[in-house]
Amino acid sequence: MRGVLGHFKELDSAVEAIAELRQTKLGDVTVFTPTPRHEFEHAVQPPPSPVRRYFLVGGLSGCIFGYWMAIWASEYWPLVVGGKAIASWIPYTIFGFEVFVLVGALSTVAGLFIHAGIPRLTMTVGYDPRFSDGDYGIWVECAPGQLASAEALLRKHGAVEVRGER
Amino acid sequence: MATIANELRRPNIATANVQLPSVRDYEQVTDEIVGTLRFSKGWFAALLVAIACMLLGAATWLYQIREGVGVAGYNPPVMWGIYIITFVFWVGIGHAGTLISAILYLFRAGFRTTIYRCAEAMTVFAVMTAGLFPIIHIGRAWKFFWLIPYPNWRLLWPNFKSPLVWDVFAISTYLTISTTFLFVGLIPDIAVLRDREKNPIRKSIYAFLSFGWRNTEREWRHFARAYLFLAAVSTPLVLSVHSVVSFDFAMSITPGWHTTIFPPYFVAGAIFSGIGMVFTILIPIRKWFRLQHYVTLNHLDAAAKLALTTSLVVGCAYLVEFFIAWYGGVPAEQDYFWNRVFGQWWWAAWIMITCNMILPLSLFSQKLRRNPAWLWILSIFINIGMWFERFVIVVPSLSHEFEPWMWGGYRPTWVDYFMLLGSFGWFFMWFLLFIRQFPVIAISETKEIVPPRVRHAHVHTPVDAEDFEPQTGRAH
Repeated sequence: MRGVLGHFKELDSAVEAIAELRQTKLGDVTVFTPTPRHEFEHAVQPPPSPVRRYFLVGGLSGCIFGYWMAIWASEYWPLVVGGKAIASWIPYTIFGFEVFVLVGALSTVAGLFIHAGIPRLTMTVGYDPRFSDGDYGIWVECAPGQLASAEALLRKHGAVEVRGER
Repeated sequence: MATIANELRRPNIATANVQLPSVRDYEQVTDEIVGTLRFSKGWFAALLVAIACMLLGAATWLYQIREGVGVAGYNPPVMWGIYIITFVFWVGIGHAGTLISAILYLFRAGFRTTIYRCAEAMTVFAVMTAGLFPIIHIGRAWKFFWLIPYPNWRLLWPNFKSPLVWDVFAISTYLTISTTFLFVGLIPDIAVLRDREKNPIRKSIYAFLSFGWRNTEREWRHFARAYLFLAAVSTPLVLSVHSVVSFDFAMSITPGWHTTIFPPYFVAGAIFSGIGMVFTILIPIRKWFRLQHYVTLNHLDAAAKLALTTSLVVGCAYLVEFFIAWYGGVPAEQDYFWNRVFGQWWWAAWIMITCNMILPLSLFSQKLRRNPAWLWILSIFINIGMWFERFVIVVPSLSHEFEPWMWGGYRPTWVDYFMLLGSFGWFFMWFLLFIRQFPVIAISETKEIVPPRVRHAHVHTPVDAEDFEPQTGRAH
């Protein structure tokens, strides 16, 4: 992995640099921002996050398990009360709902971790602590022959610091 | 620019405009919020007091385990007392956090941004506190696990039709999800702490807890989506938890308990008490940490309106209870409500009515809504009033059931009071430890409402008023 890291102080400079990097196709672009900005999302144009599917699958599985657990236990050890159902779906909706929420939410977090690539053991190349403070960063991963062009492009758009990393 | 300046000067812009005019840039946000983690003698003294109270409660619990639960002042017919009251009280306190962080997030109520972290942490610690009380109440605490369904050699399962088992599921789910919500929101902020920390041990702890978060656009995209779904799923959860707690009462045929109004009444009361506790905690924090330009008067004003609204809902529920008792024509119910307000328990009922219905009416005054000192004093009254609300729900019903020969009284002992004190010590101990290690205001979310630094003023720059989304203050 080899590339160039551009360090920006201004949001619009970074956005313009990303737009041109996408046009010129110099390499894969990773954007660092201290807070989510929709401008970057427009510039990078990523696909929709699949995290919602984790919620759907997890939530439905949890709901089914919640109902099943209560119904199975009632049938397995029946508490017979005259005229009353052994397994009653109305109170068991509480278990269906609670386990739906529990498993759905935990699956969502699992989806976040899987797709965001965390936990990560190392910071990997192309990270600078200033990106969690107030600055923006653009890491361009490209072939050795493209490094100079990428560096020139980042500087042209106002990068205050550009450095090669590998 | 002129339009924004006018908006900021307008006194009552509680929910829409969340601009922080005294905050210039992202670096200032980081510096000032991370600055709250510094050690101070006041914090240490408060922690010692909290630990002392907690230890007092713990020692009392040990005494109760040794002597039996009878030392706690339970005498027939009142076999639910301070412990169950305090359990419901703390569960209620735990509701404001998720309301502020999840429900107000979905409604794009901008004023939540700088107060939700405190409220979320408060929620987790309040539910942790609440969870202790059913265990304390059962006396033989080591048998508590019998309520949890697990495969066992006795082939026994809990009764899934019992409200107490519903409670176990509701509270444990709520604790898990609240903790998850708090921690997921903390990850980017822990990464900020990791990048600024000089102490190698603390740095490595923050590095571990931040999971290697790097602030990439990809991470933020998935984070935003996950956060949205967590908020969406927490919203019905927060409404369901106190409904389930109310079923502990409403499922019985005891006068005063057997009523369908309990779930909404409990939920409104829980949110009301939670906001009260948010004021109790947040107003001193904003003063001690000098965060008045983050938690502005506009924020307090908006939260006070929420408190006023929920107070009116709770007050309405009190009156509806009386109306239904009269209109229903059940003599035992009517007699019970008379006894509650004009008989044996008049003092508790009137503390409740004064603190929860009458004093919060002062929040109709904008001047008082924007007065932190009054809000703090009022919040103490709300906390007291909401504790007494639960007292009025639990004790008078049990002491005045259908048959006159069953009527009785209730007198808590020192064990009950020390345990109550211990619960406050336990809660504040965790909260104080939290604010020393983690930011009390969400750093990355606060940065979202601070205009970013730009080179060309009119390119995607929130300089003009029309560039703002009205609800969040974010740029289009």
